[in-house]
Amino acid sequence: MRDFIKVAIGIIIAFLFYTIFSRVSPPVLLLFNVLSLVVIYFAVEKGEVFGSCLGAACGLIHDYFSFGVYGVGGLAKTATGYLAGYLSKKIDIGPPLRNFFFLAVLIIFELILWALLYFFIVPESINTGKGLIFIQPLSTAFLGSVVFFFIRKLTTKNKY
Amino acid sequence: MPLFLKERKNFTILIALILFHFLLISMQVPLGEKASLFEKTVFSVFSPLRHGILSFFKGIGNVWTNYFYLRNVKSQNKKMEEEIFFLRQENNLLRNAIQRFQSERELQEKLLEMHENILSAHVIGLDTDSYYKTVIINRGTLDGIKKNMIVLDKNGNLVGRIIEPISLKEARVQLITDDASGIGVFSQKKSVPGILTGDGEGQCLLKYVLATARSDEISEGEDIITSGYDRIYPPGIKAGKIVSITSDSSLHKHIVVDPYFDFHYLDQVAVIMKSPVEIFKD
Repeated sequence: MRDFIKVAIGIIIAFLFYTIFSRVSPPVLLLFNVLSLVVIYFAVEKGEVFGSCLGAACGLIHDYFSFGVYGVGGLAKTATGYLAGYLSKKIDIGPPLRNFFFLAVLIIFELILWALLYFFIVPESINTGKGLIFIQPLSTAFLGSVVFFFIRKLTTKNKY
Repeated sequence: MPLFLKERKNFTILIALILFHFLLISMQVPLGEKASLFEKTVFSVFSPLRHGILSFFKGIGNVWTNYFYLRNVKSQNKKMEEEIFFLRQENNLLRNAIQRFQSERELQEKLLEMHENILSAHVIGLDTDSYYKTVIINRGTLDGIKKNMIVLDKNGNLVGRIIEPISLKEARVQLITDDASGIGVFSQKKSVPGILTGDGEGQCLLKYVLATARSDEISEGEDIITSGYDRIYPPGIKAGKIVSITSDSSLHKHIVVDPYFDFHYLDQVAVIMKSPVEIFKD
């Protein structure tokens, strides 16, 4: 039950982020893929199945905000969630720098998968936001590694 | 459970989820412009949430500005803004109508009718993947919004039309800058016809103007207005201004049109509450 509350809070924060910035400053959404951070965080914590299911749910929200074909964002996020959960069992992603690279690789993977699906299904050019989208993996990974670092610090502190 | 069996089970779930997404995508493909039931449901579920969040933050902002800051000035400004909004619409209509109607009485009747048919709306969301395609407004079926109703900006310039999905209190607007849109237009001076489409990057392209068209027929700086030939957009609405005309080896000219509506200040819009069928019946 507590886990689901945590997940709900994560999704609500991401939904708030998207709602506010889609009105105030849409380019920020190209810089930070907050929904994917939620998916990756819980995939690492709970495993690949949880990650992929959460990826499907968060993908739906992404597709709602992008007014695109429902399923494109979901498919990319499902695969990312699964991969995040699977890889985190094989390698130690605890140290912040390693965590940063882990996040960057996953976001690049998701971006490529999403772009390929988008090209295949919607024969239109992708809005790169004057190149902002190419910085997304690094900016999101940076944000994610900082946030995850503080969450871990906070949760370890509470344990003792 | 042995590890390999657990991994196999996990992998099966992943495959099932991927198949679900493919099914979801394929469900939407054959419908074309029409929104699927799934799409409508998701839109109806998330839109009120989004509306609520924005209203909440707007409410907090309003409390601050109204009660602690410029209480009276704020309310006066809002009232005046509303008046200016309608005056601009009226002014724009007058400009167009003067050219079309002969008698003053006929003009007055049309003005009154137009006033009753304008609904003010606010933009509450943009397309996060591609800004210049669609926006969401805070009016829906409860306000009488229907598909293909025309949307204008504060100054009465063409913004786009309502497309599906439409929920109870929200609707989606396809902008004229969307590369999937198509509007029957002509140039203001010599009425050279063409199709106006978006380039998906904030500007429009005037298509199907023959390369043989002379410079005295169509030139840079000229206004582009709707022709009504598409049976969706009523005639006489200003859409944009020609910024460049180039000719290459192709059959048609490459004409770039700068839309009159300013995407960055697209806050309040006007919805013409008549469907194309009603407009063209009149």
